[in-house]
Amino acid sequence: MISFIFRRLFTLIPLLLGITMLVFILMSLAPGDFLTPVKAQRDVPAELIEAIEAEFGLDRPWYVQYVKWLGNVVQGNLGHSWAYKLPVVDLIGQRLWATFLLSLSAFVFAWGVAIPLGVLAAIYKDSIFDRIASALAYAALSIPEFFLALLFVFVAAQTGWFPLGGATSIEYDYLNFFGKVGDRAYHLILPTLALGIGSIASIMRIMRANFLDTIRADFVTTARAKGLSEFVVMFKHALRNAINPLVSSFGFAFSGLLSGALMVEIVLQYPGLGQLMYQSILREDQFVVLASVMMGCSMLVFGNLLADILLAWSDPRIRLEKKK
Amino acid sequence: MAHSGFDKYAATRASLLGGLAVFLLSACNEVPVERPVVRVAPIPEDALVVDFPTGQFGANIVETLAGDLATVNPLVNESVAGSAVIGRILEGLITLDPNTGEVIPNLAKSWEISDDNLQYTFHLRRGVHWSDGHPFTADDVLFTWSTFFAKELDPDSGEPRLDENGRVQYRYTSRSTFGQMINGQEPTVEKLDAHTVRFTTPEVYAPFLLFGGGEEILPKHILKASFDDGTLMDQWSVETAINEPWKIVGLNMYVLESYRPGERIVFAKNPNYWKVNLDGERLPYVERVITKIVQDVNSSNVAFAQGLTDFESIAPDNVAWVKRGEARFDYTVLDMGPSNQTNFIWFNLNPGKDEEGVPYVEPHKFEWFSDQRFRQAISYGINREGIIRGVYFDRADVLHGYVSPKRKFWYNDAIRKYPYSPETSRALFAEMGFTYKAGKLHDSHGNPIEFSLMTNSSNGLRVEMATVYKENMADLGIEVELQFLDFNTIINKTSDSFNYESCMLGLGGGAPDPYAGKDILMSGGRLHQWYPQQPEPATEWEARIDELMLQIGRYTDVEKRKAYFFEVQTILAEQQPLIFLVSPKDFTGYRNRWQNVDPTPLGGVTWNEESLWAVPN
Repeated sequence: MISFIFRRLFTLIPLLLGITMLVFILMSLAPGDFLTPVKAQRDVPAELIEAIEAEFGLDRPWYVQYVKWLGNVVQGNLGHSWAYKLPVVDLIGQRLWATFLLSLSAFVFAWGVAIPLGVLAAIYKDSIFDRIASALAYAALSIPEFFLALLFVFVAAQTGWFPLGGATSIEYDYLNFFGKVGDRAYHLILPTLALGIGSIASIMRIMRANFLDTIRADFVTTARAKGLSEFVVMFKHALRNAINPLVSSFGFAFSGLLSGALMVEIVLQYPGLGQLMYQSILREDQFVVLASVMMGCSMLVFGNLLADILLAWSDPRIRLEKKK
Repeated sequence: MAHSGFDKYAATRASLLGGLAVFLLSACNEVPVERPVVRVAPIPEDALVVDFPTGQFGANIVETLAGDLATVNPLVNESVAGSAVIGRILEGLITLDPNTGEVIPNLAKSWEISDDNLQYTFHLRRGVHWSDGHPFTADDVLFTWSTFFAKELDPDSGEPRLDENGRVQYRYTSRSTFGQMINGQEPTVEKLDAHTVRFTTPEVYAPFLLFGGGEEILPKHILKASFDDGTLMDQWSVETAINEPWKIVGLNMYVLESYRPGERIVFAKNPNYWKVNLDGERLPYVERVITKIVQDVNSSNVAFAQGLTDFESIAPDNVAWVKRGEARFDYTVLDMGPSNQTNFIWFNLNPGKDEEGVPYVEPHKFEWFSDQRFRQAISYGINREGIIRGVYFDRADVLHGYVSPKRKFWYNDAIRKYPYSPETSRALFAEMGFTYKAGKLHDSHGNPIEFSLMTNSSNGLRVEMATVYKENMADLGIEVELQFLDFNTIINKTSDSFNYESCMLGLGGGAPDPYAGKDILMSGGRLHQWYPQQPEPATEWEARIDELMLQIGRYTDVEKRKAYFFEVQTILAEQQPLIFLVSPKDFTGYRNRWQNVDPTPLGGVTWNEESLWAVPN
């Protein structure tokens, strides 16, 4: 097990090297750099621009910048944001919780709704419930996240039922504890729905298909023949077996936990990591972009690793160790 | 048991998620750190008495800010949003009159300029205190200026260290380091007594009163330690604003109370502010300013139109629908007249060649572009009224020259103007030997007159203007190819690679002194768009503008400066290196509950924010 984890983590190194180098090349190919907008301002002296260029190393070719950056990263220094004059780690730390909270609530919402729906759709296969659920799932799958978010903005603006963006209200700081929790939750409703609805549909479809496969298996017949109640057969025996394939999707969901909400955050003005990343890309605030890319990449690897470990744990047929 | 793993897993997952959620919700509810108690100093003996009717204390302003804060350190800040925040906290020695645009006293109650026009003696208000209760003195002014020009010293010789190019290395290179330098030399400042400072400029430099005097003063007692240990540029970052906002100390009417990245900034009134009302009570009336951070101007306008915010400047293309809510949400939208915003077209007049020896502009096209008559003909051929009607729905004014009519004092109305007249254009083209073949204009060598125009795709109004322009040119038999590009690409092309034919951009802000335009107007300037950073003035008229600009810098006599600047405007209008189009109007909105509102075109609606009051709700 331990050696398996180490092996997996080891693959991260070439992966990160390749991806960061690609980001560096792409950013050097993109027109302009962090200082271009500053150059267009009339009250910025040319000498200052030169001085900052030299300070940031922007006057050097990309590979020199890359090697220098890499040297710093190896020593544990992810660099400073040029726009914020802050260590990148601190900057990301500021926004991390907001995004994590949103992703988590979308995750709980999506899985919490999708799994029961999928199971019910499988048990009552071909019933009117199954058909409606399938139709809705296809509809939800075909609406892109950002469009859903735009719709929600429109609804919020028209009705005033929901806040227009943000993570807290103006009076947040003056609320008591429960007021604060309630206020956060109120602001999470729309982003959670926008982020969750798409995945509900896909998880539900997978769950339904798996469950259908499982209830046709022999052991289910055996269980029924034993005289177990239908409820116990379905939820104790069939469900446990049907859920295994979803554990690997759980790994992917985990990898999107910090970077998957980008679109929704931008459209719904939710002050999280996605907004920071997006603005950094627009501004070409290089080190922030690099750190976010590395974070997303590492989360993917960790997510898959987690899924594999969970699978091995829940399904005894899977062994991570090589057979001796 | 083959499947016993699942129960464990489910239970673990549930408790893991539940635990995390609770942890998270409590994490965002951290106990606020004790704020230091602020000493409230007595009202300063030199307090400024503001001449507005007395009002009621305690209301809050709610407003929006388009764009997030990147730093509160004025030495580091480069963003408009940052300047808006810093400008609420820090103050300069002088400020501008919201009606006339003249320099008027602020932290300095008065000043004298020596007879040789080299020395500026400022008398600071007595008894003024920083927002934390520490007295404000001449030392703060000296400290502020020492941050601009502090040099890296060689530990051995004690001499300033030089970089590879032999230039002095500054410890804290900021916009002011070079911006306050006069012809490459530093002005000096000395303390005459605790409340008097004297600046000496190395040569006569008229804009010093405005540019030097307007510099925001930094608190020595707070920042001296970081100045000494070299961490000055890292101070007052967003981290400080989030965790220790009370460390950001200022002299303006607000202090930072709290900041949540991407969400909002809360300002509280500065308990030690130095302006009082007619009853001698310390201002401002406002208790707090709650600034919600939004993505862009449109979302900001939406918030105002829903009655959520108190003051708002409204984009010309949003005015129509914002006005619709006036009665329902009890606010007023005001037309403030022409703005500082200018829009213009220019042709690439750079005669140089790229690294491969290919001229930036094809020689036959360069011949057209560099002909004054050609540029005039194009200018006559643009239907500016059409742009105003079609693009701005009448919410803009024709812009005749470099100076927007908003800057009344510097605006020369007697320059040559270019009313829409295709006939005049055709006559000028004929004079140049251009002829029409099958409705298309051709030069005397038979080349069809075609060129490209680039503008930034992110500005919708500019894209529409370019489209009208293309139509106008088509009427003259000229084919314009429009290129809508990313802003960075445009800046690269205009300042670096020079491979473009013509460009449409705009300038905003409108610096109050004509000398601020030296980078645009002088031939060696970095933003001398049509041919930047010329080694020698390329034409006689550019040489003349250079000369005039130098005089504008050198003379302190306002009438003389005005005469020189009028001549600059006359030359620009004759030569049309920049073909000006239109200037959108400014619109401002405010909720009617606010009293003492006295909007002026230059100062907007919040220039007298300290006197604004409303019944607290």
